[in-house]
Amino acid sequence: MPEFPYAFVADILCRVEAPLREPTFLILTALAGRPMHGYGLIAEVARLSDGRISLRPGTLYGALDRLVDGGLVAVDHEDVVDGRLRRYYRLTEPGGDLLAAEVERMRRNVQAATAQLRAAKVAPRPNRGFA
Amino acid sequence: MTDLERRYARWIALFYPADYRRTRGSELVDTYLSLAAPIRGRPSPADIADLAAGGLRQHLRAARDLGPGFRLAGLLALTTATTCATGWATIEAFTPTPPWSPHVGPFLSLAIVAWAVWLVAAVLFVAASGRWFRWAAGLAVLVTVAIVPAAALTGLPRPPLLVLLPQIVLGVVALGATVQHLWWVRLMPVAVAAAVLPVAVGVESGFYFSGYYYPAAKTLPAAAATLLVSALLIAIGLAARRDYSGTWAMLILLTPIGMLAVQPLSMLFDDFGAGRAVNPTWSSAAATSMLVAVIGSMLLPLALVARGRLAAGRRPLGPGPCPTCGASSASA
Repeated sequence: MPEFPYAFVADILCRVEAPLREPTFLILTALAGRPMHGYGLIAEVARLSDGRISLRPGTLYGALDRLVDGGLVAVDHEDVVDGRLRRYYRLTEPGGDLLAAEVERMRRNVQAATAQLRAAKVAPRPNRGFA
Repeated sequence: MTDLERRYARWIALFYPADYRRTRGSELVDTYLSLAAPIRGRPSPADIADLAAGGLRQHLRAARDLGPGFRLAGLLALTTATTCATGWATIEAFTPTPPWSPHVGPFLSLAIVAWAVWLVAAVLFVAASGRWFRWAAGLAVLVTVAIVPAAALTGLPRPPLLVLLPQIVLGVVALGATVQHLWWVRLMPVAVAAAVLPVAVGVESGFYFSGYYYPAAKTLPAAAATLLVSALLIAIGLAARRDYSGTWAMLILLTPIGMLAVQPLSMLFDDFGAGRAVNPTWSSAAATSMLVAVIGSMLLPLALVARGRLAAGRRPLGPGPCPTCGASSASA
């Protein structure tokens, strides 16, 4: 089976979620390091966001389904632990490309904002007094 | 298997479609158990809410024809709403307004504004972008809703609720229509409305001075029957090609169809026999409308759940393909 059979879904996903929502961005970021299972992903997303974002399993699997449908994430391998299935997910090449594009977009925004702030500090404030 | 594991599995069995549960259930339980505190004996309310939301999401995701069904229902609802608005606008324009009875300029009631916005929405459906159409259709619904309080505040006449309510429900469904159709499909609401215009004028001249009541009693049930038969034929035709969007559209349209048919349905609540009133009582019409609204709002969730269970029942024994990668269980 081809790894990326639903290119049109990825296209829709990218258009719908441009820019990516933070949980989606963090899921992709977590998977960029290594393949992870559900619980590992939840823990890693919490760590990456300094505890701000705590995904619940229903939400996580909803997001994973969309990402897998879009070909951005794929199942890497499966383990059986205590008689229960544990599925590991990994970032696909299109998923990596999307994450890189998103990082670049954010980097430019940060650059622009930093430059504006710096200019605001250097430039004299307009005199709004009664002099 | 621990009690907690069994309880999570039971909640998953309750909320999730059978296909999804079969391939993902064990993985979901494992994730919930990993997150649960060691002393926990039951799933927390937050977990149950999460399972319910996740299950609903999966039911919607599994019903792939539901989206096209909404769009088809929107098109049929828009066609019916435009046709009704044309008929009502004819009544507004042609019914004589005697000086002793209250009226709005040369028109019968305030509703002429709503019917005009509906007709503009239908024209925008043919000629403009989807955004413009949705704005106009949304505005048409709001104006139709606003007729009742506006009439109460100004003391000016308005059509009966029997006329306004189906129009509002049709309008809500019509918001699902998209303009991404062939030109002749986009032309359908305006074309059907134009075709019924001579009929509307004829009906109006037959009920001279009657206003809305008698034309509504005759035409709304006919509109309900026409919409029902059209939706049914489309659903059967599409189902023959294994496209179930028509079936979803049919389910969605049952609420507006019920609202259009409130009058004959209300008669079922009234006493039969000699001396029975030709029109239903206000209370039976209100009870019927409530019943239609309640049953209509429950139909779609029930159908989604039933679909999840039936789809699993039709599957051959075995774990089936993986819902995430589509691979068979042997390779997944």
